[in-house]
Amino acid sequence: MAETSRKTVTIAKRRFELRRDRIERALRETLPEPITSHYVVIGRRRYPPKQAIGLVTGLDRADFTTHQARRILTGLGFPAGRRSRPPSPEPVAHPARRGAQAMRTRPTAETLEPFVGQWVATKEGEVLVAAPEPSAVVGWLAEHRRQADSMFRVPSDELEAGGLTPW
Amino acid sequence: MKHPFQALPGQAGRARPVIDLVVEGLELAPQACLLDTGASEVRMGRHVADLAGIDLSSAIHTEIVVGGLQTSCLSASVQLELREKNERHAWTPTVYFCDPWPWAFGLLGLGGLGPFVVTLNTYREWLEFRPLNL
Repeated sequence: MAETSRKTVTIAKRRFELRRDRIERALRETLPEPITSHYVVIGRRRYPPKQAIGLVTGLDRADFTTHQARRILTGLGFPAGRRSRPPSPEPVAHPARRGAQAMRTRPTAETLEPFVGQWVATKEGEVLVAAPEPSAVVGWLAEHRRQADSMFRVPSDELEAGGLTPW
Repeated sequence: MKHPFQALPGQAGRARPVIDLVVEGLELAPQACLLDTGASEVRMGRHVADLAGIDLSSAIHTEIVVGGLQTSCLSASVQLELREKNERHAWTPTVYFCDPWPWAFGLLGLGGLGPFVVTLNTYREWLEFRPLNL
């Protein structure tokens, strides 16, 4: 039988009992804020650790550090990572492409796999935001004053992916 | 303005002439479009018009079949822009906003290429838009 991860933590001199499933539920309707460095993966999305802990505890984010939030969340079993530097602008593909200027890179199919069926805004090979509705993606970009390279829906089947363009 | 080919969104296959077009009113989120020299017009999902606040209330309605799917299109003159580093080219073609539009990308057909000389180099995998001096 699956066991729900839970953890009692003290943050800013207050005790909280955090449960993995409740955190997932709490964040389900919340789009992630821009990732500057560290992130945790919750519900197949990358969130800044402080956003997640701030949301589930109601604490002011100044009351705890990113590392504290990250440690708590990884302790509950959420994968964590650190944003890599933007990929080199040099294209990685056909060697004959050297004639083209420095390119905008689109995320690989593998990177987009967790977002199948969703709308995404991407920049420099990374997914900035993903949401079920395109209006949520554009709203997020406006709210966080971010400029995407591209916006599209990650195809969920062959028709959406290439129905117009057979191989 | 030279653009390297890119993979279609979510696909790992051969790179194709996909570019990102800035639609007026939707500058934050350029729309991925496939350059389709076999298509007559510029076509995007109806949601793009909704997001950009483009008024389609008096638009001309047409029914077409794209990729085997019948779809309903409303057309409007819309400013599009190509951006690459410091270079920008804006023009105002007729864009057909279609519903349903299940595809992951829009289509940049011949009707949207009027003010450009377009060069496709499939060996080196790039396409180039050179503005016409009309």
